[in-house]
Amino acid sequence: MTNNNTCTYRQGALPSCAPLAVPMVAPQQSSQPAYESAEALAKGTLFPGLDLPFMDYVATGAAENTPLAELMALDFVLQELALYLDTHPDDTEAFKTWKSFVSLAEKGRKRYVELYGPVMRQDTVNCNSWVWPEDPWPWDNSGKAGKN
Amino acid sequence: MFVYEKKLQYPVRIKNPNPAMAKFIITQYGGPDGELSASLRYLSQRYSMPYPELKAVLTDIGVEELGHLEMIGTIVHQLTRNMTIEQVKEAGFQEYFVDHTAGVYAQAAAGWPFNAASFAVKGDVIADLTEDMGAEQKARATYDNILRMADDPDVIDVIRFLREREVVHFQRFGEAMELATSQMDKRNVYAVNPAFDKPARK
Repeated sequence: MTNNNTCTYRQGALPSCAPLAVPMVAPQQSSQPAYESAEALAKGTLFPGLDLPFMDYVATGAAENTPLAELMALDFVLQELALYLDTHPDDTEAFKTWKSFVSLAEKGRKRYVELYGPVMRQDTVNCNSWVWPEDPWPWDNSGKAGKN
Repeated sequence: MFVYEKKLQYPVRIKNPNPAMAKFIITQYGGPDGELSASLRYLSQRYSMPYPELKAVLTDIGVEELGHLEMIGTIVHQLTRNMTIEQVKEAGFQEYFVDHTAGVYAQAAAGWPFNAASFAVKGDVIADLTEDMGAEQKARATYDNILRMADDPDVIDVIRFLREREVVHFQRFGEAMELATSQMDKRNVYAVNPAFDKPARK
């Protein structure tokens, strides 16, 4: 198998001399192209090349525009980049992107915590009392805007 | 050490009770190819894995699977809260209801309680990674089957998200396999098991 110009990011590149009896998946070559964060969360992947839905079950649009959805989207991009970096530790571009999303997610988390309460227990540090147990918990689906 | 975040990875907001759907979606909570099985498989395989990048992959995917377990638990909870006894009977949900009421219990769709026999830790690098790739495919196929049967858009949207995660994880385990075998004897990757036989690195 050789690379040729007809390969796209969806196909990836394969080594020219592949060993027998070893499971092989074409490695992703780059962390680009990538969806923007809300679209990535809606689709379930940051990477268009990995966006391989079943039948016509495709994302019906970007996730809603709430502070929680924004935080989920930023944290989701971090998770996708972390998994990518685990198998591509030498990709300096991806690591740069990772760093910029870490600071975006930190800001998003602060904004959310100020509006709706703690995501992690330490977030109660600026609260007047121990509000950690307060509803809603993630499975409650309170219907309140922004929360859960 | 694990730290809890009081949020889901992806929003789950199901408006209508539907125990008939809970009956088969519960299998991704405690069934053979479910999220509990997935998280325990990867988090347990870490200890004998000799390569740092692979310890990271198993940890980061294993932890994400715990988040998916919470999402499936949330789906089952929201499909069964506020259900009436009439709905329990109509849905044929009596067998589950009599043992667990509207609680979330780790079992397969056919009623078998969670069983660690549904996953493996072989302690062999290539065997464990091959199992992981197969596991992602089986979970993906289970989500395909759930999509074929689900009829509530609130549920379909979340299942679609979880299914896509299996595709991404399969890709990462495939790349992890390449990272592992590239550090083995190229002429014969089966000459030793680097998780047991030393030296591990070529």
